[in-house]
Formats: sequence, structure tokens, C-alpha cells
Amino acid sequence: MSSATGNAVPAAAPTGGPAHRREAPRAAAVPLALVKRFLTAREGSIIVVTVLLTVYFSVTVSAFFTGGNFQNLLQYFTWLAILAAGEVFLMINGEIDLSIGGVYLFAPYLYYELANGHVPLLPAVLITFVACTAIGLVNGLITMIVGISSFITTLGTLFTLEGFTLIISHAEQVTAPGSQLAASATSNSLSTFASVFGAGTYSELIWALAVVVILAVALARTRWGLHTIAVGSNRNAAAEAGVNVRLNLIRNFVVCSTCAGLVGILESVRTSSISPDPSSANSVLLLAIASAVIGGTLLAGGTGTVIGALIGALFLGILQDGLAIKGVNADYLNFYLGLAILFAMLVNVYLGRVRRMSGHG
Amino acid sequence: MAEAHDGEVIVAPVTDTEDVLRVEHIAKSFGPVTALRDVSLHLKKGEVLGLLGDNGAGKSTLIKTICGFQQQDSGSMWLKGEPYEPKSVDHARALGVDVVYQDLALIDELSVYQNMFLCREERLSPFPFLNSRKMKRETRKSLNDIGINLPRLDVPVARLSGGQRQSIAVARGVYSQADILLLDEPLAAMGAKEGAMILELIARLKAEGNLSMIMILHNYVHVLESCDRVNMIVDGVITLDKPTSETSVEELTEIVVEEYRRARIEAKKDEAAFAASEAAEGVED
Repeated sequence: MSSATGNAVPAAAPTGGPAHRREAPRAAAVPLALVKRFLTAREGSIIVVTVLLTVYFSVTVSAFFTGGNFQNLLQYFTWLAILAAGEVFLMINGEIDLSIGGVYLFAPYLYYELANGHVPLLPAVLITFVACTAIGLVNGLITMIVGISSFITTLGTLFTLEGFTLIISHAEQVTAPGSQLAASATSNSLSTFASVFGAGTYSELIWALAVVVILAVALARTRWGLHTIAVGSNRNAAAEAGVNVRLNLIRNFVVCSTCAGLVGILESVRTSSISPDPSSANSVLLLAIASAVIGGTLLAGGTGTVIGALIGALFLGILQDGLAIKGVNADYLNFYLGLAILFAMLVNVYLGRVRRMSGHG
Repeated sequence: MAEAHDGEVIVAPVTDTEDVLRVEHIAKSFGPVTALRDVSLHLKKGEVLGLLGDNGAGKSTLIKTICGFQQQDSGSMWLKGEPYEPKSVDHARALGVDVVYQDLALIDELSVYQNMFLCREERLSPFPFLNSRKMKRETRKSLNDIGINLPRLDVPVARLSGGQRQSIAVARGVYSQADILLLDEPLAAMGAKEGAMILELIARLKAEGNLSMIMILHNYVHVLESCDRVNMIVDGVITLDKPTSETSVEELTEIVVEEYRRARIEAKKDEAAFAASEAAEGVED
């Protein structure tokens, strides 16, 4: 004990007292530091919130923590994770792609028309992907070359694609080609196609995990990811250092669009129906952006995480699924959803501040 | 700079009169603003050329044109006797020309070593993955070499001091294997100690003789200390080209002050002419 503090301590106080009290926090410091480290990791806060939500539903709803419900849950979040993972790249760029809603709606119809036109199923899927890539390319070129903000560009392509889908579909629901599973399928290969492209129980989960892992590794471990962060953090400095800003942005628009096309096809094969409903496509789009934001990706650009987007999607999935089986009136769903998004954002912003001050990257 | 050890390597026979870089009659405008009117300069191998000039004289525009960030409207450039037409910063870098910008061009969100290797990242070939370990090691080596001590290389550069950031930017340029390095105010944000480190590094590189440099500086003492020759740029034109041994701080100051006086007289004349024309118009009305 230094003489300065020694003077401050009353003579009557036992010398062991304060020293002992000082021991306790030191012993707890290591786990506390770990907890703090975890909470301030970019995905830490949303993991905690998601676990809390899971515990809450598991305790209050007996049917929640069951294998059956797990399969149910997959339908809520897997496709969302794919959309959000693609969107994260553009949001790190400081851009946004609203047209994923349009691509999500349009891709299955293109696939349907191709398959109806006697294009074999797999080539039809591939051509659809190429078309989605082209849409991303158009988004990127208009945004970069003409210099329109991506919010406006993709708002335009969103409505264009939704309108175009309504026109070619005559606003009629159709059956997705190749969606029959083993029981009703006419051949083995058809059944395999269906189970790979969404109809298999875990097919969408596998797709989602594959997309998330690939994009997460690309973001953290490749030149592409590094340049994406550079472009989003300081576009001018990135260009001065030699980063090909246009190429990076256009590539990310393409990836985002292709993810949306994949989801469009997976969802139509899973539900075996394709419906031209722009309002559902719009909420799909907003949920994808919400997942990315809840997962810790800021709209301002420069930072973001793909794993966070996956967990953000999982959080929204659990919330929707939990409220549904809890029997909460459907009218309350959006209300709770909105509050949850606000809450998650507040936590993120707060922990982000703590993170910056504590010095963890 | 692998062959930097004294006397070991015989470089290609470049005679003293042969220039590694020639800039001939470069002009560059941004809309109505003319940044470079007609700039010609040359740089010999191993030479350090100091570029002086007032704010807005066109120094940074010249640097950004030579480094490939922007293309000139007219005029030509020659690199080691070959026509030099960089399409991009990356292209110029591949040809051996690198740059340290005035604004440093660092990415706040990226770490020290990621900034050091931005756009020339080391990869674990044949895979596309970044070789972070190698980049960190090389960064550590480069910074130690200059004498910059950073405890951690994986922190975002946003958290570093102005001087530390600047030394990272300088280190990035110096250790990029360039033959020609352009430095736009490399000492701007530095304290005396860090500035001395960088000047010492430049002196060492000059002694090694492999790197040719064009350096924008505002401090005339530094210019005379570090540069072999000095060029002054005024209103987009080179107005002075002298070896530093034949000039002095007094002379350089006198030239600039003279320039300032002349500009003031011109401005007064313009003002008078403007007032006269105003008055004339007033009469007509």
C-alpha cells in the first residue's frame, strides 16, 4: 500500500480489509475480461441476445425446443441468411441493394418459363443465375458509371423487376418445375434435383451455411474482402492506394443479386409454388437488410460481418417462429419485430462504442 | 531493394546524363481550373529532387499524374527511355513508380499491416487467401528498419497518432520495391523526432543509390539537407531548376518573396483595371 493511500485509511481499519477487497476483483478480472472481450466482439452482442431469446421461448413454450420445430425454424431463417450475407458486402461498401426483392420475385418465374420452354432443369437454373448476375451488373454499372446513388438505382430495378414479373406471370401463381420429392417424382434424378434445390429438409440450411462460410472467408481472408472494407471505409484513399473501386463495387452488386436469385429458386422449389406477390418480396428484402443490421453491419460502410448476418437472420427466424407457436396474434408480429430490431440496434451501437474505446478491432 | 548492399550489384549501365524519368510539357485542367500549364522536369537515377511551390501551384497534381492516379490532358512522360503512360496507380506501381500521398491514403478500418500491403497483398498461392503472417513479418521488419516502434500491427490505423500514420504511409512507399518514389509532404504531420527518422531514412536510401525520389517539402532547410536538386513550380509551370549546392535558404526565400510581391502587384493592377472597367460601365449606365 502506498503512503498516500495509507494516510487516507483510518487508523482503526484493519490493514487486511482493503487489501482483501482488492483481491476479489483481481481474481474475477480474467473471466470478466473474457466476457467483455466476447461482448465487444462484433458478433458477441447479437449472439447473447439470440441465446436469451432461445432460452425465453424454450422455457415459455414447450413445443419450441424440439426437433420438429427446428425443421420449422429452418424455413424462417436459412434463406434470410443467404440474402443478408450477400447484402453485407454492399453495405460494407457503403452501398445498398434494394433490388434483391425484385430478383427474388423474378428469378423463379424466369426459371419456370425456361423449364416450360423445354430447357432441362439444371441448365434452366444456371441460365437464371446468369440473368441474376446480369441484373447485378446493370445495378453496378448504373451506380458507378452514371454516378447515381445505389439506393435510387436499385429502387428503380426493384420496381422494374417486380412489375416485369407481374406482367410475364399475368399475376398468376404457378407450380415450380422439378419440385416433386421422391414420393411423387417421376424419376430419381428429378427427386435429387428437388432435394438439392430447396425441397430436401436440410437443403436450404446447407446452402445457407455454404454461402455464409464462403462469403465470410472471402471477407476476412481475401484481397476482395480487404478491398471491400477499404472502399467502404475511405473510397478516395482506396483509389489512391490503387484499389479498383469500380470493379470491387460491381462485383459486390453481382454477388448480392446472385444470392437473391438463389434464394428465389430455393424457396420456390421448397414450397413448390411460385407466386407473384411484390409485397411479400418487399418484406423479404427488408428482413434481409434487418438481419445484416442486427448482425452488426452498419449502413455507413467500412465494417460488417457475414457471420453476424447469419446470426441476425437466426434471431429474426427464432423471433417469428417463437411468436407463431406461442400463439401470439399475427397482428402483433410486426410490432414485436420492430421493437426487436430497435433494441438490437441500440445494443449494437452501444457495444460498438465500448469496443472502439476498449481498443479491440 | 534486395540488391541494396553496397557494391555487390552492378546496376545496368545508366550514365549520369541518362534520366530515369522525364516529364515533357504536361498540362492538366479540372474543368475551368488549370492545375498544370506546361510542366517539364527530369529525374536522374539515385537523385532526390525537391519540388517547391505555393499551395495550389500544382505540385500535388503533378505527383498524382506521375503516379498514375490521374492522366494528363497533354504532354508525355518517359520512364528509363521508354514511353510511360500509367493507366492506374497499380499499373505505375508495376512499372516501379510508387507514391506517398499528402493525405496518406490510409484506410482507418484496416490494420497497420493491411494498410502496408494494400493493393500488393501477399497471398498463399495457389490459394487466393491472404498471407497475413508474412505481411505482418515484413511490416515489422520495415518499421524496425526505419526505427518506428509499434507494439501491435493488427490494430486499425485509426487508433494511431498522426506521426505514426505518416510513418506507415512513408514505409509503405519506401518498401514497395519501387525504383522511383514520389513523396508529397512526407513530414507534414510529424514531430521533430519522427521527422528526423524519415529524413535519415531518405538520406540512407540516397546513399544506397537505387531509389530516385521526387519530394515535396515546405521547409527549405530540409530541402537543402536532403535533396540534390530543387525545382520550383509556380502557377503550373516550373520556374527554377538548380542543384541545391548552388542555392541557399536565403535565395529560395527571396525567390518566393519576390514571387509574392509580383503576384501582389499583378493583383493590384487587376484590381485597378477592374475598378476602371466598373467605373466605365457606371458612366455608360
